[in-house]
Amino acid sequence: MKNILLITLLFTTTIIAQVQPKDSAKAYKKRVLEKMEVDFLSSYYAQDGDNAAVTGGIGTEELTDLATNIVVSIPLNDDDVLTISAEISAYTSASSSNLDPFDSGASNDDDDDDDDRNGNSKAISTTTVSPWVESSGDSKKDTWVNGNISYSHSSDDRNKIWSANLNFANEYDYTSIGFGGSHTWLFNEKNTEVGIKGNVYLDTWSPKYPTELDSYLEADQNLNNGFFSGVDILDQNGDIIDKDGINVWSPLNNTLIVDKSRNTFSASISFSQILSKNAQISLFLDLIQQDGWLASPMQRVYFGDRANYYIGNAASIDNYTSPTNRDVFQLADDIERLPDSRFKIPIGVRFNYFINEIFVARTYYRFYSDDWGITSHTAEIELPIKISDKFTLYPYYRYYTQTAADYFAPFEENVSTQEFYTSDFDLSDFDANQYGFGIKYTDIFTKLHIWKLNLKSAELKYSHYDRSTGLASDIISLGFSYVFE
Amino acid sequence: MKKIIYIVLAASFLTSCVVVKEYEKVNINDPDMVLSSRKANKFETSFQAYRESASGANGGKTGGGCGCN
Repeated sequence: MKNILLITLLFTTTIIAQVQPKDSAKAYKKRVLEKMEVDFLSSYYAQDGDNAAVTGGIGTEELTDLATNIVVSIPLNDDDVLTISAEISAYTSASSSNLDPFDSGASNDDDDDDDDRNGNSKAISTTTVSPWVESSGDSKKDTWVNGNISYSHSSDDRNKIWSANLNFANEYDYTSIGFGGSHTWLFNEKNTEVGIKGNVYLDTWSPKYPTELDSYLEADQNLNNGFFSGVDILDQNGDIIDKDGINVWSPLNNTLIVDKSRNTFSASISFSQILSKNAQISLFLDLIQQDGWLASPMQRVYFGDRANYYIGNAASIDNYTSPTNRDVFQLADDIERLPDSRFKIPIGVRFNYFINEIFVARTYYRFYSDDWGITSHTAEIELPIKISDKFTLYPYYRYYTQTAADYFAPFEENVSTQEFYTSDFDLSDFDANQYGFGIKYTDIFTKLHIWKLNLKSAELKYSHYDRSTGLASDIISLGFSYVFE
Repeated sequence: MKKIIYIVLAASFLTSCVVVKEYEKVNINDPDMVLSSRKANKFETSFQAYRESASGANGGKTGGGCGCN
């Protein structure tokens, strides 16, 4: 790793030092951005699968998300551009709803949490409790909002660009504050570009836990109190347990999140080179260090070496892992536990080739490795076809593969003696195929307009994603770019 | 790891490629030749960051700001 860093830094500084003087001549100064531009982008995403992490690696992963992003780029003068971005993403998720699978939708307290934080008696539904059934709890939906402001300055010869950015994001269990900066150098008559970038995200959990774990602590670890009062707990044979007996359900740990922070520090180096009149390439190297609570507090784990306990219909226990199970739910052994540090190295290469006036080939490859034992490869190809002077159609294919994290095991296959464990299939061994197409309308003369917004381009893209774990998803995106007169 | 070093070294020699003049960059300046992900890919990249362990090295976000992997 040190070798890569040294070589990359040496390479960067050497070419900057060698080539920069050639571009010192003053040139005609064109405005970096002529007029204010406004970009709108909306997307609809839907997925389904059978390995929900909230319910320990089995259960419905059904999820829909509707997201919109508005970006306004404002030229402040010839050299400076201020960019403001706002984004909102609203989702509904069957698996998240099962943070509290027992939610009947009829609460007799004013607490808007899914669980019973106050220890008050709350109506518990045991008739439709299952990893395969969406609960009516508040956690089935959420809204993520994000705001970003960035400022960039270009030098008079346009061979140096620096920028700084501030970022804020919030959702019901997570808040993030981020900031960063970048510097870019262009030389070789703008045939070569080198950039460095740094970003810091200081994130904080407002943790929400699986309701039985949280409620157990709220009830002072007494199964006759609070949430568990009056509720029958069943063993693997379907027999009602004696809550005052020896063989009773209890979580592995009586502490949940200790450190609510989650910080990300990233450094990036990029290099772009025009290879010929028809080809160009870019390389990206990121170094990312994450610290803090890197596991999700919502995600259950069930151990293979601990007895199983349930709430619901005893007759359905033998059928627990089948999607036909609609009325029994297994009490969690713990939330997932992962190391408090993670170091990631993704390296990407993008190569574009102008084949002729009709076809362009856009390709991308990424190698990724981290110290949780995951390595992955990503390959993409896109073939834009100019079907007229204003319309471009682009078919698209992407292949992705990854190895599993050292701490992953499916439902009931982790053991309680492990230090770290998860049944999140996003950290499992899988490969995925994604394919689709897009169509883009471009009008350099911006003839179409709404009020003072002149349409510069419009783009529609659809793609389908299939993962070898059984998860499948579809996403459709629609974007418009306007020039403000 | 050696492969990565070779790629970085190979890239360093690319600066010695032929210099393409501004007036010769008609094809290079084609909108489809841009060396970055399309704007329409923004949300697609976000869902990939949630559903997959790898992210970054695409000129965009590298992590943080969400409860994703």
